[in-house]
Amino acid sequence: MRSTASLPLPRDEWGWAEDYEDISGQAAIVGVGESAHSKASGRTTHQVVFEAIEAALDDAGLAPTDIDGLMYGGQVDPVDVAAFHAHFGTSHDMWESTEGGGMTWAATAPYQAAQALRDGKATNILNSFGVTWATQRAQMVGGPGQSHAAEQFKQNLEVPFGWFPQPVYFATVARRHMHEFGTTEDQLGAIAVACRRHANLTPGAVMHDKPLTLDDYRASPYIVEPFRKEDCCLISDGAGAYIMSTPERARDRPQPVVEVAGVGMGTSVTGVHFAQQPAFTSTPQVYAAPAAFAMAGIDPGDVDVYGCYDPFTIVTLMQLEDSGFCEKGAGGEFVSGDTLHFDRGKLPTNTHGGLLSHSYVLGIAHVVEMVRQLRHDAAAQVPGAEIGAFGGFTGMNAGTLVLRRS
Amino acid sequence: MHDHFPLPDLELELLRPYWEGAAAGELRMPTCDACSRLVWYPEEQCRHCGASSWTWTAVDGSATLFSWVVVTHPFLPAFADDTPFVTALVALDADPAARLATRIVDIEPEDLRFEMALQLSFRPLRFGGVDGEVTVPFFIPT
Repeated sequence: MRSTASLPLPRDEWGWAEDYEDISGQAAIVGVGESAHSKASGRTTHQVVFEAIEAALDDAGLAPTDIDGLMYGGQVDPVDVAAFHAHFGTSHDMWESTEGGGMTWAATAPYQAAQALRDGKATNILNSFGVTWATQRAQMVGGPGQSHAAEQFKQNLEVPFGWFPQPVYFATVARRHMHEFGTTEDQLGAIAVACRRHANLTPGAVMHDKPLTLDDYRASPYIVEPFRKEDCCLISDGAGAYIMSTPERARDRPQPVVEVAGVGMGTSVTGVHFAQQPAFTSTPQVYAAPAAFAMAGIDPGDVDVYGCYDPFTIVTLMQLEDSGFCEKGAGGEFVSGDTLHFDRGKLPTNTHGGLLSHSYVLGIAHVVEMVRQLRHDAAAQVPGAEIGAFGGFTGMNAGTLVLRRS
Repeated sequence: MHDHFPLPDLELELLRPYWEGAAAGELRMPTCDACSRLVWYPEEQCRHCGASSWTWTAVDGSATLFSWVVVTHPFLPAFADDTPFVTALVALDADPAARLATRIVDIEPEDLRFEMALQLSFRPLRFGGVDGEVTVPFFIPT
């Protein structure tokens, strides 16, 4: 499997898709769970993650001793095998992988899990992710900006000039997208409004009790023009978890079977150095999504319900374009009106509210929601949803996960 | 984070020629020895041709405005004295694939236009509460 490109890339390419083998139908998600999501709560990362893990175990009807595979990724205090055993008082051998967690990996973890299941390395594999950055924020430590400021080129060539942190990067991207394609603030607002409506319907969403109309959005002051606070994701404390097994074992569980139909991962040649990204108004979904859809044997038009990593409204808009739901540059028109709404839209999106309005757990709650949608057990339920897709992202790379109700 | 953050760290070997150039009033950029493209940022390989060696070379400081934002809220305490300011990405005429993150000064934000012609203006960068000063490339209208 190629996991880094050889340079130079073919002409006009600015990234690549991982060369994944076909694992379609070889894994299923059998349990999902999440913690309470809140503003600063004083909880630790372990506390929120174990709350989500226990909820996922309960949902799957499994005991801690049934979990023999653990995935996690970059986060403060991940739940690794040692932490799992310390919490549950278990001691059994477990397969362990750091290719899990949130962001891109909330989408791609099922790939490594499917391989491990096929190779007999594990039978029930847990992926978890959580953050308590709302609690830590008061100390101005941690959080999404800090890791970027620690990177040597950003620290020395971007931060000194005020091109920092993420709201500034992506406001710059949004402004350029508006220039290149005519995208408008109202179109970004349509994304914020759809997500908020979904959060208003979803128990546990941080913004559950706070409605948002397009007029509210227009009246909201800029944080950094063209972004208003409603264009930017929440910072909250919380966690999510999901458990994967084979479809055969999934059929023994009480819940409807939700199979992994396809996975794709794409990487930008300029990595975290977005300032240098050749396709500045695109995301690596241009590489990840087509690969995932090809593995699943579907076209974008076959997707009934979509979720995508949405730190800023512009990132949703770009991923919709880059995943092929509309032409590049047509994202603004695509998201206008009711397109993204669960009950009347052409492509219901972030039906739990997303990072914008549900919780800041970096994509793992999107997968939890997608599974609920395909079980027909979600709050803002898309009628008859059969195929769902989730786009995870973290700037330097992106992943797409296609799930199918079976 | 080094002591004078968010000033550039002049001890960082990888970028020392950049700051030495700036102090001398020159925009020096890493230029690929194989294909002459700018290697930016100067990582292990030139992403255009894959070669791994470059030479720091003085280049023309003309650029165009690629995108910008007006920062009114200081995202770091050190920025408090400077807001509101324009932070931008400019594409170098010498190789438009290479963009500099920079400040645009001597122009009202409402007069900024995409692709407008800009030229280098080295300025001393200082932050309140931080010791030291570094000469850095800002950009002004041509």
